[in-house]
Amino acid sequence: MGTGEFRVQKPETRIQNGGPGAGHDRNRLGDFGSCPKPSAVLAGGLVRTYRRGTEKIQALKGIDLDVRRGEFVGVVGHSGAGKTTLLNLIGLMDRPTEGRLEVLGTDVSRRGVRLDALRRKNIGFVFQEFYLMPTLTATENVLLPTMWGAARDMTEIGSAISGRVPSRDRAKELLNLVGLGHRLTHKPSELSGGEMQRVAVARALINSPRLLLADEPTGNLDTATRDSIFSLLLALNRDSGLTVLVATHDLSLESRFSRVIRLEDGNVV
Amino acid sequence: MIWFKLAFKNLIRRKTRSTLTVAGVAIAIAVLYSLFQFQQGYQSQLKGELGALGAQVMVVPKGCPYEAATIALHGGKWPRYMDESLLDKVKANPGVAQAAGVIMDAVFAPGNKNVILLGIDEDYMKLRPAWRINGHWFDGDSSVIMGSTAAQDTGVKTGDYWVVPEKNARLHVVGVLNRTNTQDDGFVFMPRKTLQKISGLEGKLVLILVKGRQVEKTDALVASLKASEVDMNVFPLSELLGTISSLMASTKVFVSAIILIAVILGGVGVLNTVLMAVFERTREIGMMKAMGGSRGDVFKLVWAETILTTVIGGLTGVVVALVSSRLVEALIRGMIPYAPKGSLIGFSLPTLAMCVVLSLVLGLVAGFYPAFRAASVKPVEAIKAE
Repeated sequence: MGTGEFRVQKPETRIQNGGPGAGHDRNRLGDFGSCPKPSAVLAGGLVRTYRRGTEKIQALKGIDLDVRRGEFVGVVGHSGAGKTTLLNLIGLMDRPTEGRLEVLGTDVSRRGVRLDALRRKNIGFVFQEFYLMPTLTATENVLLPTMWGAARDMTEIGSAISGRVPSRDRAKELLNLVGLGHRLTHKPSELSGGEMQRVAVARALINSPRLLLADEPTGNLDTATRDSIFSLLLALNRDSGLTVLVATHDLSLESRFSRVIRLEDGNVV
Repeated sequence: MIWFKLAFKNLIRRKTRSTLTVAGVAIAIAVLYSLFQFQQGYQSQLKGELGALGAQVMVVPKGCPYEAATIALHGGKWPRYMDESLLDKVKANPGVAQAAGVIMDAVFAPGNKNVILLGIDEDYMKLRPAWRINGHWFDGDSSVIMGSTAAQDTGVKTGDYWVVPEKNARLHVVGVLNRTNTQDDGFVFMPRKTLQKISGLEGKLVLILVKGRQVEKTDALVASLKASEVDMNVFPLSELLGTISSLMASTKVFVSAIILIAVILGGVGVLNTVLMAVFERTREIGMMKAMGGSRGDVFKLVWAETILTTVIGGLTGVVVALVSSRLVEALIRGMIPYAPKGSLIGFSLPTLAMCVVLSLVLGLVAGFYPAFRAASVKPVEAIKAE
């Protein structure tokens, strides 16, 4: 897991000048030279079917997908196209009904694979709604994921529980990274929508994930804030080589992704 | 610790609801603490009072021994008397080391205060080695010694004269007892002959306190006294303790039922509150899982919240019980025929520990189902849910 691989630089130097896929040649997850980068997400014939009463709904209808490590990929499509379902599967919050899905080299479509542990160690999530704990400060919200599974993992997560400085420092580092160094002790009610989403981004990064999934991260934000959050995600990809998948229905953002996966009615088009 | 910090912060998000839930538990635990402590205090104070009598055997007129014991312990007017000649018969028993005959009466002092009069002699004094008299022993028939509380209530001190209410007898206060922390503090002592005379009870006794030569042969002494005279009740004080305790024990079932109902209601209140909070926080819980929280993590968090609620409630309940102990004690005393004097509901570390442990168990039980429900939340469905 990418412990300590995420190098903090001054936020302004990273957020500016970000172009699509600008970070690909600086992938710190491995030096692959001229070899093709390994897959972060590999899916074949991915089907997800739900039941709503007696009705059977096929949200994904056999999707093939290969997202390479370090890519900045947009999953675009209209509402109901299957974007969230796809992200949930990739984010290990759900299992496919049919098909094969490999995330960061692990076949997660197999029964018996512990998804929560894999998710905790490898995947960061950003949602349209920020889901920050209203009683916790920005720093505490960022630290929240370090609580989970600490007793089992015994990694650097444990240091958060024991109150050792590095985790809190890392939270501050990440808040600095997302431009909220001056809001460390503010509670969500004292933050703007854009600031809350930045806290959510920092929170998604606290466990040093290898894959960042963002589901409509700018859906609740105004245009200026949307651009700034988007630039932040882009900078993260560019500067750290983090694989980022963003689901959005905002077609105006398409040009900013290194690659776009277009979904329509559960199919890639 | 971070778990409990987060759990605590979650609780204070819904201040009113959490406060009401804590109050529910606090009331249940306060009832538990008060009633339990009352029973404990009752037993220990009763033992103390009986021990303060300085005797192992009590001889009283025929009648209800429970009533006789109440009179013996707290004093009062009891229209049953023994002939004073029985005292000599008791003293003649070879197993008796000391025997003190007592006559009692009660009068109302100004302000409607009940004053208990005890007619005693030097034999009674011998059963009270701990007595310290501020003054001296009776120096004549018109002498009186005041218990410390009785002296305060009547407003007299050593050297004063005191007119016995209702009796029109003027007595010289020759001494005031230093505080004994027993029932003696509330009594007014005078020579037995004096009280018999002013109360018109010449030749009568209300009770005889008997100290045996050998404590381990108390049963034999009782049997021997019973055999010698049929016109009196003879019983060891240990039996009296047992009798009163068994009377109290009969209320134990009732009291336990009240406690059980209060605790169950408190637990159901907690379960309801936590379950509601879990339903309301479905998306948040889904979010925790999305961030890597496992079933166990979510279970622990919700359980911690419940335990925190019940333990805070339990501690609050103990504080409430201690603060309201006088009121509760007065209420309970009003409902039972006999209760020892002194404070019955006090601070007790073992009872406090018992209440905390019970609160903890209540939290564990009441929190299990909500924690299970929370742990079962599927992140995908939770995040979708509106």
